[in-house]
Amino acid sequence: MLSVTGLRATVGDKEILKGLDLKVGPGEIHAIMGPNGSGKSTLSHVLSGRDGYTVTAGSVLFEGQDLLTLEPEVRAQLGLFLAFQYPVELPGVNNTYFLKAALNSLRKARGEPELDAVSFLRLIKEKLKILHLDDSLLKRAVNAGFSGGEKKRNEIFQMALLEPKLAILDETDSGLDIDALRVVAEGVNALRSPERSMIVVTHYQRLLDYIQPDYVHVLARGRIIRSGGKELALELEEKGYGWIDAELAA
Amino acid sequence: MTGASAVEDIVKSEYAHGFTTEIESDTLPPGLDEQVVRAISQRKGEPEFMTAQRLKAYRHWLTLREPEWAAVNYPKIDFQAISYYSAPKRPEDAPKSLDEIDPVLLETYNKLGIPIEEQKALAGIAVDAVFDSVSVATTFRSTLAEAGVIFCSISEALRDYPDLVKPYLGSVVPYTDNFYACLNAAVFSDGTFVYVPKGVRCPMELSTYFRINARNTGQFERTLIVAEAGSYVSYLEGCTAPQRDENQLHAAVVELIAMDDAEIKYSTVQNWYPGDERGVGGIYNFVTKRGDCRGARSKISWTQVETGSAITWKYPSCILRGDEAVGEFYSVAVTKGRQQADTGTKMIHLGKNTRSTIVSKGISAGEGQQTYRGLVRIGRRAEGARNHTQCDSLLIGDRCSANTVPYIEVKNPSAKMEHEATTSKISDDQLFYCRSRGLTEEDAVSMIVNGFCKEVFNELPMEFAVEAQKLLSISLEGAVG
Amino acid sequence: MNAPLHSGLEHWLSAPDDTPAPDWLLEQRRAARVRVSAQPLPHSKEEAWRYTSLKGLLEQDFSAIDEPLDALQAEDLDAVLIAGLDAHRVVLVNGRFAPELSTLDALPAGVRIGGLRDWLDRDPESLRGQLDTARGESGAFFALLNTAGLDDGLVLWLERGTLLERPVELIHLSVELDEPRVAHPRHLVYLEAGAQATLIERYVSLGASLYCTNAVVEVLLGRDAVLKHERLQMESRNAFHLTSLYLVQDANSRYVGVNIGLGARWARTDLNTRFRGEQAECLLHGLYLAGDGQLLDYHLDVEHAVPNCRSEEQFKGLLTGAGRAVFDGRVLVAKHAQKSDAAMSNRNLMLSEQAEIDTKPQLEIYADDVKCSHGTTVGQIEPEMLFYLRSRGIDAARAQRMLCLGFAAEILDQLGAEAVREQVAEAVAQRLG
Repeated sequence: MLSVTGLRATVGDKEILKGLDLKVGPGEIHAIMGPNGSGKSTLSHVLSGRDGYTVTAGSVLFEGQDLLTLEPEVRAQLGLFLAFQYPVELPGVNNTYFLKAALNSLRKARGEPELDAVSFLRLIKEKLKILHLDDSLLKRAVNAGFSGGEKKRNEIFQMALLEPKLAILDETDSGLDIDALRVVAEGVNALRSPERSMIVVTHYQRLLDYIQPDYVHVLARGRIIRSGGKELALELEEKGYGWIDAELAA
Repeated sequence: MTGASAVEDIVKSEYAHGFTTEIESDTLPPGLDEQVVRAISQRKGEPEFMTAQRLKAYRHWLTLREPEWAAVNYPKIDFQAISYYSAPKRPEDAPKSLDEIDPVLLETYNKLGIPIEEQKALAGIAVDAVFDSVSVATTFRSTLAEAGVIFCSISEALRDYPDLVKPYLGSVVPYTDNFYACLNAAVFSDGTFVYVPKGVRCPMELSTYFRINARNTGQFERTLIVAEAGSYVSYLEGCTAPQRDENQLHAAVVELIAMDDAEIKYSTVQNWYPGDERGVGGIYNFVTKRGDCRGARSKISWTQVETGSAITWKYPSCILRGDEAVGEFYSVAVTKGRQQADTGTKMIHLGKNTRSTIVSKGISAGEGQQTYRGLVRIGRRAEGARNHTQCDSLLIGDRCSANTVPYIEVKNPSAKMEHEATTSKISDDQLFYCRSRGLTEEDAVSMIVNGFCKEVFNELPMEFAVEAQKLLSISLEGAVG
Repeated sequence: MNAPLHSGLEHWLSAPDDTPAPDWLLEQRRAARVRVSAQPLPHSKEEAWRYTSLKGLLEQDFSAIDEPLDALQAEDLDAVLIAGLDAHRVVLVNGRFAPELSTLDALPAGVRIGGLRDWLDRDPESLRGQLDTARGESGAFFALLNTAGLDDGLVLWLERGTLLERPVELIHLSVELDEPRVAHPRHLVYLEAGAQATLIERYVSLGASLYCTNAVVEVLLGRDAVLKHERLQMESRNAFHLTSLYLVQDANSRYVGVNIGLGARWARTDLNTRFRGEQAECLLHGLYLAGDGQLLDYHLDVEHAVPNCRSEEQFKGLLTGAGRAVFDGRVLVAKHAQKSDAAMSNRNLMLSEQAEIDTKPQLEIYADDVKCSHGTTVGQIEPEMLFYLRSRGIDAARAQRMLCLGFAAEILDQLGAEAVREQVAEAVAQRLG
């Protein structure tokens, strides 16, 4: 599904990713944990094609295709989805209109016909339920005036609608209280399937109580320094990130 | 509402610095022609090129008309009724240190509440006190000389460093710039020259006190500050004037030049005589101040607190020529009684990634009239320019006025600029809140107004900030019903 | 006998006795002609014309339209109609009222709608004291020219307490003639106390016609009257367009104006509003889109002459290609106009390398107990927003268009009729490519 090899990336003059390797198979859930500044968000952004990052070495293959040369919208059309840590507000851009444009562009890329208004609305209402979202959301502008929790739920709602092959959840738990976290995690779990892989990027173990990963990786100083099963997350919770410095120094 | 009576009191609060000093002056008779221009140049022992330049400016001035676009009203100035030169007697005997200064003059400063000795002691400030038009005292020369900083009167500079001054004088504000700048170029009396060499951080804040004293004497100051690459200088200018019953014209020109990575900070506290309750007397303050950020990453910052003068007409500006140059303008202006002010700034963005900030706080009381007039121009090649402007007016009493006239011209679409302006009065809620906590109305007003101006005061050097707050309190004195 | 007009404007006025008019109106027209002849041409040294040159306009040598254009058929109109808009329709062709193209049946009692020329013919005295009063003593150059050349237009008159439910649609259709022509339409909207109406004023053309429109709209709102006034300037891209609005509001009246500017090569719009009674409210919204070769110039003059009124001015601009726009907004709060509340904003989005904007939002305040503010921004589409949309699979061009429409939505949403809103949004989207 996804194969990252020797990935190096810089922001300005600063190298953030320093030779990162990661392989994600179909249906797998990988958690990437690490202290602040370890390169977690950079990884999410490089994978989804955000400007401002320069890849200096390495490759990223998505279903055998070189992802790094593709425009962000083409990556989305191929089935990649990023749930943003800080979803931007789009004042004046109506949510329904936005969702329809996005869904139809994906369908078009897959050679499927565009959905008519009725089936689109039916689909959307069904997905709203998964996230316990009110359909008043559809009349509002994208993320505009949303609370922190609403924004995160809206991200997962979009994921439900767009049905990606690989979803990257960038610190989806940040800023959520426990109830909102539960709703978001339930949404994510409802979307688990053998064809859908996920990369869950997080600072804290608590999200992994709700979304059980198959693999856990520790990202530090731009590299994955340890990988293991979900028990690694518990170990991190116990020991914190302090040991990393000791390990790297050794 | 106690507002009305508070206003009456503000209007009546008298000019605290009103008095006249008796000093003999060597003054040219009123009137202006080529002979007068030559006489000024001669008396100052200037090099020939300067005399020629003055005459050129004078001839050009004859072709100009007095500008009328500013929102200020005053009786027509009779330029032939003004005396264009006044110097303390025997300028060649000008004192070398404070000890030699006329005790009457020192006492004048004491009356102002800003004695030079105290100022000196306060923070090691070098004081180049201008009494009328000729510099009479310069201190801390040696410390500055050690650092290689030249800080002297412009007349002296023209005599001692003509080659250094010549390429810069008039290069930022050419004599063709405007009516008053042109007049200044022809008849300027004296002023200050500062030169900070490459890489030098000026070891102290430089300060000059300007005063206007002799009867019917126009004052035409000329200031030139050059900061070479990588240097830094902070210059403070403060003004007060004794009470007068006839209008006095003040048409100064200030030119600042900052080369690569240089920074100039220019601060002004202006408290000239504003005229009496009926608006009689008071200074006409028609000033041209402009900074040229010639070098890359250079920075020029203007901070002004304007509480005096009958009429203020001044727009300290920055030409952001070097890439990544920074221009700043912080201003507090108070108009009360019959004072009028048309003031603001111009930020001309020419270089790439240039930035400017404008913070203007206007306070109008009594029958004061105030206009903020500002220009932000983003040139065609000024890729990535940024500007933020905040322009607030506070109105006290229902006979004053506040106008805001910003011009925003964007010729490069990568520019980002934001302009915000508000006009309001001190809210009854704010006043009530303060008073319910035990403050008198006067203290409450003073506190709220000081808070309103805080952003600007923060930009002033410490000693000046204290003085500025004091000035503001004096201006608003008697604000209790 | 007639005072000579300025070079480039020699043929702007036809003989003044061509229009049926009572003596008082002839006198007004004559006085305006004398005054405009005595004035210098607007030039860049004047604040009001600082950023806008008349050069292109004067080069055209426009001449006044002397003959009504009868050749148009109802089918010709189809091209410019808004599908689904249900309205009382008044059509002007090249500035002349065209009754055969208008649909003015089923007018409720208390509503009078007609062509100005006809009105002056039938009942001139009823307009005395109404026509050309809102303009006051204004010496605005082109409004004076319009007065001097005043010929035809719309009169919309609602009697006391009349509520007009369906909107009135005023279509100002221009067609190129043998030589470049200028029309001086004059519209008078008079809502007596308590009356309410919606007026949709549209400027359109057939094909890429070259012509000049020099319109003046006078609006008088009586006590408690409410007018929604939507003005859609969608002239041909070869056209020159000048309009001046003069609005006078009595106590407790409410005016909501929406000004859309998409068309014309060169357009100048002056909106002059004045409160005459207290507790009145005036909202001025605007959206302009200037592209290659276009100059769109807006001037607002909002006068709070009396206390306790509220005004809001909100203009947004999109600039593409080598488009230029000017926004010069002035809010004046007169002495004693206490408790005035005014908020002005002008936001611009620069979408190209060559676009230019000059903006000058002014406050002029002579009373203390006021709440006045203005805000201006010039900026670009935020890259984060663009990225967000692209990460959801939407291509860059479409994403940009969506964001621009989002930016414009605040203004477009003010358009009352869905059909109109959709048509304008469609036109904006089309212009954004």
